[in-house]
Amino acid sequence: MQDLLYFFQQLINGLTIGSAYALIAIGYTMVYGIIGMINFAHGEIYMIGAYTALIAITGLATLGIAWLPVILIVALICAMIVSSTMGWAVERVAYRPVRGRHRLIPLISAIGMSIFLQNYVHLAQGSRNIGFPALIDGGFQFGSADSFQMSLSYMQITIFITTLICMTLLSLFISRSRTGRACRAVSQDIGMANLLGIDTNRIISATFVIGAALAAVAGLLLGMYYGSIDPLFGFIAGLKAFTAAVLGGIGSIPGAMLGGLILGVSESMTSGYLSGEYKDVVSFGLLILILLFKPTGLLGKPEVEKI
Amino acid sequence: MRTPVKKLVTAVSTSIALLGAGHAAAEIQIGIAGPMTGPVAQYGDMQFSGARMAIEQINANGGVNGEKLVGVEYDDVCDPKQAVTVANSLVNDGVRFVIGHLCSSSTQPASDIYEDEGILMVTPASTSPEITERGYELVFRTIGLDSMQGPVAGNYIASLNPKRVAIVHDKQQYGEGIATAVRDTLKGQGVEIAMFEGITAGDKDFSSLVTKLKQADVDYVYYGGYHPELGLILRQARQADLNATFMGPEGVGNKDINTIAGEAAEGLLVTLPPSFDQKAENQKLVSAFEAKGEDPSGPFVLTSYAAVQLIAEGIEKADSTDPFDVAQALRSNSFQTPIGTVEYDKAGDMKAFEFVVYEWHSDGSKTPVK
Repeated sequence: MQDLLYFFQQLINGLTIGSAYALIAIGYTMVYGIIGMINFAHGEIYMIGAYTALIAITGLATLGIAWLPVILIVALICAMIVSSTMGWAVERVAYRPVRGRHRLIPLISAIGMSIFLQNYVHLAQGSRNIGFPALIDGGFQFGSADSFQMSLSYMQITIFITTLICMTLLSLFISRSRTGRACRAVSQDIGMANLLGIDTNRIISATFVIGAALAAVAGLLLGMYYGSIDPLFGFIAGLKAFTAAVLGGIGSIPGAMLGGLILGVSESMTSGYLSGEYKDVVSFGLLILILLFKPTGLLGKPEVEKI
Repeated sequence: MRTPVKKLVTAVSTSIALLGAGHAAAEIQIGIAGPMTGPVAQYGDMQFSGARMAIEQINANGGVNGEKLVGVEYDDVCDPKQAVTVANSLVNDGVRFVIGHLCSSSTQPASDIYEDEGILMVTPASTSPEITERGYELVFRTIGLDSMQGPVAGNYIASLNPKRVAIVHDKQQYGEGIATAVRDTLKGQGVEIAMFEGITAGDKDFSSLVTKLKQADVDYVYYGGYHPELGLILRQARQADLNATFMGPEGVGNKDINTIAGEAAEGLLVTLPPSFDQKAENQKLVSAFEAKGEDPSGPFVLTSYAAVQLIAEGIEKADSTDPFDVAQALRSNSFQTPIGTVEYDKAGDMKAFEFVVYEWHSDGSKTPVK
C-alpha cells in the first residue's frame, strides 16, 4: 500500500511538472510547425512571464489588494500581455528580417536574442534568486499519518486544470477559428497560403504571440509551484520543453502535450526509483533514442522536412 | 615570422609592460576576485565589503611601507570557466596579490594560474581541502576546511540520536566534498545513512526528492551546497509535510534563504565560522562597517578583511612586494586579525579555525546552539 502511494506521489509530481513543460513546449512546436524554425528565445519569454507576474503580485500587495482570485487574474493578464509583446517583438527583430535566408541565420539570431533577454533581466532585476510567494497553499492528504502520506496540493491541481483549459482552448482555436484555419494552411504550405490571400506575416506573428502567452501562464504557475525565480531559469526549462516538443513530434500540438507529460513522469520516476543524479541523463537519453528510432517524434508527421 | 614588424610589436608591448610595472610600483594592487553577479552574489558582497574596508583603513593609517593599496575588483560569477578568465586578466593587469576566489570550484582552477605566475592568493571563503593539498607555495586561506566543518556537522547530528539521516549534495566540489565529510563522520559514529544523493545545481523542482525523503522516513537531512537549492528544498518539503530537520554548511547561511524558503527556514541548522562581529575586540571595526551602511555579520566579511590585512602585514614583515617573500613571511609569523590569531602551516591552512553550529530563524537571524 505504501509503495503504491509512493508510486502515485511520484506520478503526480511528474505529471505536474510535465504539464508545465507541455505549456512551454507549445511555443516551440507551433513556431516550428509554421515556419520550420526553432525559437531559442522561448525559454526567456517564459522567464520574463514569471518575472512580470511576480512584479504584478508585489505591486498588488503594496496596493493592499489581498483577494486571491484578483491577484491571480491580474498577474496572469499582466504576464500574458508582457510576454506576448516580447514574443511579437522577438519575431519582428530576430526572425522577420532574416526569414528565408539560410537556416542557420535565424537560429543564431534567436540564440542572440535569448542571451540578450537573459542579460537584460540580469541588469533590470538583479541576478539573485527571488522568492515567489506561495499564493495557493494546502492540499489533500491520502494514507495514514504514521506511514507514508501521499499529498496532492491545490497548487498541483491548479497546474493540471489550467494546462487542460489552455490546451483545450488552443485546440478549439486551431481547429475552429478562422485564424486557426489560416495557421494550419500556413503550416502546410506557406507560399500557397500567401497566394490564396492569407496574410502570412500576421499569422506568423500570431503564432509567436500565442506561444508566448502560454509560456507566461507556465511562468506564473511554475514560479508559484517552485518558489523562486532567477534570470537563468528559463534556459533549462526551455531546453526541457524543447526536448518535450521533439519527443512528442515537433510541429504537433498533441505531441507537445504528450512529450511534456512523458518527460515529466520519466524525470520524477528516475529521481524516485533510481537517483536524482540520473534525471537529466534519462530524459536526454530518451530524446536520443526517439531521434534514433523515430526521428519525427511520437506523434509527428513523417513528411515534414524542414530542418 | 622573424620580421622587423614582430620586433617592433615586441618592443612596443615590452615598453607598455614596463609602463605598467612603473605604475604598479607606486602603489600595491590587491585583486579582489569573487562573484559580483550570479546566484551566490550575496557572498561576493560580503567579500568585497570586507576587503574594501581593510584597504580603506590600511591606507588611512599610512598604507604599507608608505605605499597605498589599490583594490582591483573582478567578477567570476562563481563559475570555474569565468574564474580562469579572471585569473588570466589579473595576470595581464600585473596584480600580484589576490583576495579570492569565493567558490571552491572557482578557486581551484584559478589558483593553478596564480601559482604558475607567481601571484599570492588568500581565499576568504573556499573550504574545499583539495585547494591546499597540492603543495602550492602561494595559496592561503582565512577560513577553515570542509574536513573541519563536516565533522562538526556530523558530530552534532550524531549527538541528537537520529533514527536515519539522508545526505543530499549539489554534485559540486564544495557541496559534495562537505557532504562526503559529513557522511564519513556519521558512519564512524554508527548512524544509519538512508540515502546519499546528488541534485543538479540550478534545478527548481525537488518534489521527487522530497517524496523520496518522506518515503525513507528520515529525521535529519544534511545538504551540502548553496542556499538557492536548499531554500527550494525546504519550501517544497514543508509543502509536502516532510517532518525532518535540515542542516547545511556556511554556503546556505545567509538571509537570501529566507526570501526563498520563507517560514520553512525556521529551525534550519547551519555550521558557520563563529560570529566574529560579536567579539568585543572587533566592535570598533563593526561600527566602522555600520557607519558605511554595511552589514559586518556575514560569514565572509571579516575573513576578507583579515585576508587583506595579512597580505599588508606580510609585505611589511618581508619588507618586499615579491609574493614568494610575502608567502615566506606569512608562514613564519603569527598575526593578530579580527578573526583571531592567524598562524599558517606549510600547506597554507590556518593552524586553528573553529566552526560553530547555529540555528537559523525565519527572520534571517541566527542563534548558536552549543
